[in-house]
Amino acid sequence: MASDGGAARQRAQSVTRYALARLALAVPTLAGILILVFLLLHLAPGSPVSAMGGESGRRVSARAAEEMRKQYGLDRPLPERFGAWVGRVARLDLGTSFVDRQPVSLRIRQALPYTLLLNGLALLLTLAIAIPLGVAAGGRPDGPLDRISAPVLFALYSLPTFWAALLLQTLFSVRLGWLPLCCVASDTAPGGLAGVGDRLAHLALPVTCLTYGSLAFFARLVRSGVVEARRQEFVLAARARGASPRRALWAHAFRNALLPLITVLGLILPALLSGSVIVEKIFAWPGLGRLYFDSILARDYPVVLGLSLLGAVATLLVTLAADLAYAMADPRVRDGTEAR
Amino acid sequence: MSAEFLAAGPSVVPARRRLSGSGSAALAVVVALWIVAAFSPLFSARAAEIRLGERLQAPSAAHPLGTDDLGRDLLARIVVATPVSLGIGLTAAAVSLFVGFTVGGLAGYFGGAVDLLLSRLIEVVLCFPVLFLLLALAAFLPPTPLTVILAIGLTTWPGDARYARAEVLKVKDLDYTRAARAAGASTGRVLWRHLLPSVLPPLIVSAAFGVAWAILAEAALSFLGVGLPATTPSWGGILGVATSYVEEAWWLALFPGLALFLTVAAYNLLAEGLRAGASERGRT
Amino acid sequence: MRRQLGALLLLLTVGAFACRARESAPAPSPQAAASDRTLFRRLFGEPGTLNAVLQTDVPEQLVLAYVSRNLFDFDAGLHLVPSLAERIEASPDGLAYTITLRPEAVWEDGTPVTPADAVFTIRKIADPSTPSPLFKPLFEDLVSAEEVSDRAFQVRFRKPYAYRAMSFVMPVLPVRRFAGVPFDRAPDNRRPFANGPYRLASWKPQESLVLERNPKSWGPPAFFDRILFRILPENDVAYRALVEGSLDETLIDASLKDRAAGDAAFGACCRVLEFYDLDYSYIALDTRLPFFSDARVRRALTMLLDRDGIAAHLYRGSARVISGPWAPQSPASDPSVTPLPFDPAAAARLLDEAGWRDTNGNGIRDRGGREFDFELLVSSGNTIGREIDETFVAELARAGIRAHVRSLEWASFVERLDSGSFEAASLASSAPDPNPDPYAYWHSSQWPPRGLNSGYYKNAEADRLMDQARTEMDESKRISLYHRLHRIIRDDAPAIFVVNSTKKYALRRRLEGVESSPLGLFAIWPGPVGWRATAAPRGKGPSP
Repeated sequence: MASDGGAARQRAQSVTRYALARLALAVPTLAGILILVFLLLHLAPGSPVSAMGGESGRRVSARAAEEMRKQYGLDRPLPERFGAWVGRVARLDLGTSFVDRQPVSLRIRQALPYTLLLNGLALLLTLAIAIPLGVAAGGRPDGPLDRISAPVLFALYSLPTFWAALLLQTLFSVRLGWLPLCCVASDTAPGGLAGVGDRLAHLALPVTCLTYGSLAFFARLVRSGVVEARRQEFVLAARARGASPRRALWAHAFRNALLPLITVLGLILPALLSGSVIVEKIFAWPGLGRLYFDSILARDYPVVLGLSLLGAVATLLVTLAADLAYAMADPRVRDGTEAR
Repeated sequence: MSAEFLAAGPSVVPARRRLSGSGSAALAVVVALWIVAAFSPLFSARAAEIRLGERLQAPSAAHPLGTDDLGRDLLARIVVATPVSLGIGLTAAAVSLFVGFTVGGLAGYFGGAVDLLLSRLIEVVLCFPVLFLLLALAAFLPPTPLTVILAIGLTTWPGDARYARAEVLKVKDLDYTRAARAAGASTGRVLWRHLLPSVLPPLIVSAAFGVAWAILAEAALSFLGVGLPATTPSWGGILGVATSYVEEAWWLALFPGLALFLTVAAYNLLAEGLRAGASERGRT
Repeated sequence: MRRQLGALLLLLTVGAFACRARESAPAPSPQAAASDRTLFRRLFGEPGTLNAVLQTDVPEQLVLAYVSRNLFDFDAGLHLVPSLAERIEASPDGLAYTITLRPEAVWEDGTPVTPADAVFTIRKIADPSTPSPLFKPLFEDLVSAEEVSDRAFQVRFRKPYAYRAMSFVMPVLPVRRFAGVPFDRAPDNRRPFANGPYRLASWKPQESLVLERNPKSWGPPAFFDRILFRILPENDVAYRALVEGSLDETLIDASLKDRAAGDAAFGACCRVLEFYDLDYSYIALDTRLPFFSDARVRRALTMLLDRDGIAAHLYRGSARVISGPWAPQSPASDPSVTPLPFDPAAAARLLDEAGWRDTNGNGIRDRGGREFDFELLVSSGNTIGREIDETFVAELARAGIRAHVRSLEWASFVERLDSGSFEAASLASSAPDPNPDPYAYWHSSQWPPRGLNSGYYKNAEADRLMDQARTEMDESKRISLYHRLHRIIRDDAPAIFVVNSTKKYALRRRLEGVESSPLGLFAIWPGPVGWRATAAPRGKGPSP
């Protein structure tokens, strides 16, 4: 898309304006989310004190519990606690966990690599399989690949994650014994290169559970995008000019289908992270999802707040990035007359 | 999430509606499910019969799908769970759709400050940690179907809202709308006569996807233990129990999951069929 | 795009290696020949803290049992034996206790465990700002704790108590290591200063904890050089690990026990150890409610719960029905006080007598315009509790009573209990010690928020017996008081007592010296410290 310097500069300017405007709008959203989370957290019944003792059934008398509550600063009024927390966050301090008195940032840092590994691999596999599959199926609609893949993808899309996890565990772990039931690695496995095989074996089932759903979704999306773009005039024009069909497909059709893809990618990431809660729980994967779930049950307020903050920021950033991609491509979006 | 699926796909334009072959099959399954649901009261006595001596029995002549952890017939429980799951799924999807399309539609139509405000609202709910909201709701409110419907509906409406807003924006500036407004038609009339008919097909498709999603969500909640109470049979609930008996009772994991899967797949296929049939560009 | 994908892949691979590298154990790997001298234990959760005073949950206790000795311990027969302390002397009025420490009791740096340490610990426990749920109840009547010599200290209480000596089954913390640091954030909470046979060598969060021998510990040396705790929340996974040889012991449940019976690999390597302990389950009732204020109704409810069927089927025979707030093994339990029978017909008669009849023909009993309809809470992790409740609810429905089972996660559940805003709740009583005194749970002075009498039970005769027993120093007289109390509670039915069930452990055959007790395997001395391994080949062991 050739353009002279002036138009490009103008485009850059309006994109920047748009970006700044969107960024500014994200601030009240973030504030709204945090206030709501804080309120809900503290209004929910139970406290870190009542969560103590877990399932072992040891209970403390309510009076002793009341005294312990003071240790966590839980007797101070809500607005004061919210203010204190915001102040700490502004200094990049997420506080200390109620459960083990470690810094929240440390606990998050410990869990983060596991979640990244799981979700990163799932995303990679999703893209690696869905894109070629979708392009191939979309390149020949109603062709043999398309006709076979359509019902299979639908089946995958409709498969509940927790059921798939249960079945996979039963089949591959309990019955066949090929793959481990859970966890990150066998503790008897060697480290370094030789241990990679063991780690991959442990990753196999959880990654599969996270991948198949978004894979199906994505592949269908790519396919319809490709089909639609194929019919666009410029593809026909390219072919008329003598470009090979495959080249025309990849160069033009796919690039045009890219934009909706980016949007959906932006929305898949948070879905992946929240979907991984169930997977992490079932496979005892020590990632952020499991940390979040366990912290809510233990009423570990600082960890829950810290993770909610991170999650909200990540989602907002990703949404912003998707919006920006659209803005760069479509001037109508920048001017606010298009649907973004 | 289902709404994004639609937003990124080919636009649904009002046209003659026709279901593809697989879409018709899906419709048949959906209707069959509703018939099962209608007849389920016949099974409720059997589904509630606790026989401790017959617990965790494999499928047999007496119990075609086996028994659960309290000796209740699994087939009867799965049947009795059908109207529960379907009902909650449909209502939750309806709530989500109604709230979403209203908010999104208004945001798209009025634009300006209204759009700004409503879009922020959409964003807040979209980025809100869902799991946390669900756990908190489960702790506060009694575990009735209403709570589950609210929990699902209130967390999925932003998707529908964004989709509705996008569709309304597309149609708002089309010639015929502008013409109607230029001719002096009132806002209400424009909304009713012009926008609604063109938003209707995507609404129906979105509804079908939404039902599938809501049924899945309810099952997930019951599985996690924060959905319906243990005594109300629900597919997700039985699957939740199945995790404690994974090694001994494979039938507890297989059959309710199968029912869930078939239902969700049917609704998804139906939605896709509707979307394909309604597309001006014909079958995709 | 391809380049970016490549970069992502590289990043992930590096990340995977980095994780692995970070976790390389400082101690020699288990595959070394020393594996026969390493004991592989299981934790079902992550310890939150290793501060012996602040500990709240079982994983913490299991680890601390090796690292931090108590002043006194229970042996397998539940007698108090000296541990860090040498002897205890009670004053004639029963208010003051003088405890003398062993001269050989030392910390891991060789310095002696001093009365100053003990006094510091006791004062910390009694301090209102210290969250010490395990020990605080033991020192509620504390008046003072003072050093009296370079080896002894004295503790004074407000009132005499028959089971006071049990309060000294408690750990001691080194005072000088907590000087000048906030108690709940001290570095020792992550790496405790040991006075027991082992000390902490490493702790990989979410994965494992390793203990190594404490060279300065006194007494006969323990058999194992290292203790490796694996953190495995799932029973199934632990079972698998045991059979493969990477665990030496694990707690199992009834379904795993059945699986083990039919598993040839298990039979070759391992065995099941099953025994009754002091824990029991019951359904608490809020006795202030119109439904539950009449003892006849409470008895009727008990008779509507098929406890024998539950023991036979839900517990697969590994449980016995109880009739009061004690396991049958407890000396306070009177074997002649038999449980109320499962008798729906008799129950119906009692309900009629108490005025609960179905006056409007809708199948639900009512009285004075109020229907007999209540909510039964259960904690969401309590699978068998839920199954018991569902069985109960079905039988209640047949008797014209409507009940709803509501499953709550633990924090919400406890909140409802403590605030008294529940109607009925399925609970398990878990005994940290063999003290049979039911005061905290059943005396009318212990209503919430003060105590744990969540059912707001009040019975003057029961109160009197409990008060008397608390100060009765003669054991046989005290026991007969508790026997009388047992009968009263059976007849008054303040709660619905269900069963006392067994604890089941799967152990590798190489383990010897495993003693069970009514307190379990680990809360006794020597307990796990006394375990040994035979030199016989391990069978399927960890891969070299």
